Amino acid sequence: MDIVTKPKLSRRIWDYTLLTVLALIILAPFLIGLWTSFLPTMQIAQGNFLSTKVSLQNYIDAFTQTPILRYLGNSLVISTATMIAQLIFCSMSAYAFVFLKFKGRKFLFGMFLATMMLPFEAEIIPNFQTVKALGLLNSYSVMVIPFLTSAFGVFMLRQSFMQMPIELKEAADIEGLGHFQFYWKMVLPYNRIPLMTLGAYSFLGAWNQYLWPMLTTFSNDFRPVQNGLRQLQSEETFNDWGMIQATAAIVVIPTLIVLFIGQHYFKSGVNEGAVK
Amino acid sequence: MMKKFTAFLKTYALPIFAIFALVLGLAFVHGSRDASSAKAGRIPVVFWHEMGGPAEVQLDKMVDDFNKSQNKYEVIPQYQGVYDEAVQKIIQSHGTSASPAVFQSFDISTAQMMHSKYTTPVQKFIDEDNYDTSNISSVARSFYSNKGKQLAMPFNTSQPVLYYNASLFKKYGVTPPSKSPSYSEVTRAAEQLYKKSHHKVKGMTMEIYGWLLEEALANAHTSLINNGDGHTGNPTKINLNNPTTKKFLTWIRTNIKSGDFVNYGSGASAETNEIAAFLAGKLGIFVQSSAYIGQLTTGNKNKLGISYFPHPDGVKANGVGIGGAALWISNDKPAKTQRGAWEFIKFTQTAKNQAAWQKATGYLALNKNSQKTKTLQDLYKKIPAAKVPGEQLASAKPNNTNSGILMEGMQLTRELEQTAMETVYNGGNINSALNTADKAMNANLKTTNKADGR
Amino acid sequence: MLKSPAQSTPTSPLSVEKTKNKIADQEAKFTLNAKDKYFAWAFLGPSLLILGVFIFYPMVKTLYLSLFLTNTVGKTTVFVGLSNYINLLTSADYLSSLGVTLFYVFAVTIITIALGLVLANLASKRLPGIGLFRTLFSATMGVSVSVAAIFWLFIFNPSTGFLSLASTFLHLPQIPWLTDPTAAMWAVIITTVWMNLGFTFLILLGAMSSVPTTLYEAANIEGASSRFQFFHITIPSISPTLFFVSIITLIESFKSFGLIDLMTKGGPTNATNMLVYRIYKDAFYSGNFAQASAESIILTIIIALFTLLQFKVLEKRVNY
Repeated sequence: MDIVTKPKLSRRIWDYTLLTVLALIILAPFLIGLWTSFLPTMQIAQGNFLSTKVSLQNYIDAFTQTPILRYLGNSLVISTATMIAQLIFCSMSAYAFVFLKFKGRKFLFGMFLATMMLPFEAEIIPNFQTVKALGLLNSYSVMVIPFLTSAFGVFMLRQSFMQMPIELKEAADIEGLGHFQFYWKMVLPYNRIPLMTLGAYSFLGAWNQYLWPMLTTFSNDFRPVQNGLRQLQSEETFNDWGMIQATAAIVVIPTLIVLFIGQHYFKSGVNEGAVK
Repeated sequence: MMKKFTAFLKTYALPIFAIFALVLGLAFVHGSRDASSAKAGRIPVVFWHEMGGPAEVQLDKMVDDFNKSQNKYEVIPQYQGVYDEAVQKIIQSHGTSASPAVFQSFDISTAQMMHSKYTTPVQKFIDEDNYDTSNISSVARSFYSNKGKQLAMPFNTSQPVLYYNASLFKKYGVTPPSKSPSYSEVTRAAEQLYKKSHHKVKGMTMEIYGWLLEEALANAHTSLINNGDGHTGNPTKINLNNPTTKKFLTWIRTNIKSGDFVNYGSGASAETNEIAAFLAGKLGIFVQSSAYIGQLTTGNKNKLGISYFPHPDGVKANGVGIGGAALWISNDKPAKTQRGAWEFIKFTQTAKNQAAWQKATGYLALNKNSQKTKTLQDLYKKIPAAKVPGEQLASAKPNNTNSGILMEGMQLTRELEQTAMETVYNGGNINSALNTADKAMNANLKTTNKADGR
Repeated sequence: MLKSPAQSTPTSPLSVEKTKNKIADQEAKFTLNAKDKYFAWAFLGPSLLILGVFIFYPMVKTLYLSLFLTNTVGKTTVFVGLSNYINLLTSADYLSSLGVTLFYVFAVTIITIALGLVLANLASKRLPGIGLFRTLFSATMGVSVSVAAIFWLFIFNPSTGFLSLASTFLHLPQIPWLTDPTAAMWAVIITTVWMNLGFTFLILLGAMSSVPTTLYEAANIEGASSRFQFFHITIPSISPTLFFVSIITLIESFKSFGLIDLMTKGGPTNATNMLVYRIYKDAFYSGNFAQASAESIILTIIIALFTLLQFKVLEKRVNY
């Protein structure tokens, strides 16, 4: 018996040690950042990294002296609006590609796929001119309108709509449901999970936008949080690391919480193509 | 799966939405400032600027004072990041509701702003009001005027100076640089400080910053571009690979080799880091804009020393040009808004406001009467070194080489200068670095001239 | 990692399982309905409009702009044909940007995948409490560019940074992380890999957990080492997913912008001046819209090629 368990035990200890060390390495930037956010800036500047003068002063400063809450609020508005819009418009397009028969359907779907080859980053110049001509600069709309739909979303939902049982469609035909009713009452509820996954993706995608808002927002009233943090760093000419780390913590902690809760849905979205 | 989903909603939906609502509520309770939020009955005047740190605090105070001083206009300041970024934001947002009524734009963008025709020259308002400009520094005013017409009003004006930590020099028994030091003198001071401190203190740094390189040329009476650095005609040729640039870079190379030099790179972070190191007593000498005097004197226990910008050995210092930015009035706003912008500009130029501005930041007070104010008299008594930049400005006789470079595309030119500096700092060959820069700069100049039909 | 869906890439190759009685298999049964045409326009209209205005039109416009010179305020003035492209492709500066981008992209992809595999392999063991480690390993998924940049800028800071303090404490030589060209590139690569790791780990873990356990059981009976099992069972079984994450990591890395902007601004000596950052800088710093447009077209070609490669491999698994 000893012969069997001993290598197993040492093997386990080795596994746990390795896991712990790797986890610590991955978490190190978080931990270092979090720790410095509690230190007075003077202590950081002098290199007293192990100072015991911890306080919440940096957080108080961040909340009272910077518009960090406003930035968070802006991002929340933009991301929520983008998410809702994509859920509606992507599912509508996917519905058309799956349940409607019309001329040029294949061609149009090909066009949708083709847009995935065109990086938005390479189109910022004309897009800037477009939103300028539309009078959208420095507003929430400028960060939502170009992203009302996404070819990726259409593609993903189409895949999952096609996996619906044929009986549902037959039942709907028997009941005499029109397209709008069938779409609203059956297709959407049936595909809740992929919709949820798309929602999570579009929300996070909008939340992480960086280049576009940087070009199109000029005041703190509309600036989302990613650019807000950049703004704070460039505005703060002193090495106020404590407060900067505090703002980073304020931004990252809610995201982490939401992510750990919603993790399951990202995984299912990616691995199963949101089929089930 | 479905069950899990419902369970998920039941468990987390409420708390998540509560957090959303809370954050949103908090966010929008916080005061917001944009054109639509001006007080009732006041004309909003959106003002874009690029002042961060203590300068921003002082600028916000100035704006606040202006808004309180009258009840017709409300100036709304909006920070736009570094100078470089702001130029295109200003040009590209022109003619939209998001654009500013009055904006701050830096020295080297002058030619670009002039050619864009997006601004109303302030001369128009000077004439309307018979505003007396004679009290405002003529060196600074001429920088932003063309053919006798004032395009913009100089606002924040600085001079590059050499800062040294006088206490450190005293502590290690090293003689600090003289009032107008030569390259070799600075090297001597930096090397001795590095040695005598047993390598605890780095001798010197010079930020990778095109402006400093241009000032080195100015101080040695050397033109970077033809047609008198653009003052006598549209430039057609750039010559960075000249003996003066080589002397400057060789000087830095000498210090890098002897180990007393520390490289903090380029950009705002380099400035933050060199100041942090200087204040922490880890750095003896650095060359930087006088605009940092405010930061360097508040909370600095060490004695601050300031000298003129160094000059090459055996060459008489020609004096350096100014740096900084001016206030421009956009021409896409109604007359009454423009009027408000002009009233604000006049407000920024008063002796009292310019004095307070110099004290808080280190930018030079442009109004001659500011020197007589108690604010500055007290400052000079407390920190005699604070007088040095003004003296340096006064000591220079304006000529084409030390009055800035008037050329479109200066931003790109500066980038290329900086790439050349970086190459040299990292051990590259000086001659080939400068040749590469020259080639790229001239190609760009050619394209610019072609695009503009000149 | 999770970019805007508009720029994202399609779903996993494992996505579609063929089973009977699904809409997908009944396509032929539908008959062409005249009314469907109107519904189609109603359902597709909004998306078509947005994609047309913000994806297709700008591509054409970018192509147009790239054939001209633009003046101070960004208006086209002189038609120059392909000369913007010729200038770019003969400029040492641009070619070096292309070079550093390729180096960055491949370094990031290879390291991300390698580390992701190590983590996923470890975390796929059935040990008590492994769930906690899985959660911790995926933590960087919740980190956006600006937050990652703040964390790592502090770590790399030359005077008061964590690495600087640590190397002083351990009497190690100081590495000038952000001012030395080579070190700066690695600083950006490390940060990018760290940001990517959570997402990559999660996908690879998912793929590994779907490998049939019977394969491993059989191998165990035959006494195959765990290394052998990893290379001969795990890797081949998850190869479609492996390919999928590699290529999206690759494509996303080509589009890197935020970290460059926040950490190095393309420097030092243009060592990190990658394609997208260059476009931004040439257009929105220097005002050279024509050249930036030509650079945009080149970037589009590169990304389109990799996306096509991705589609090609996915093709067999995706229903058209």
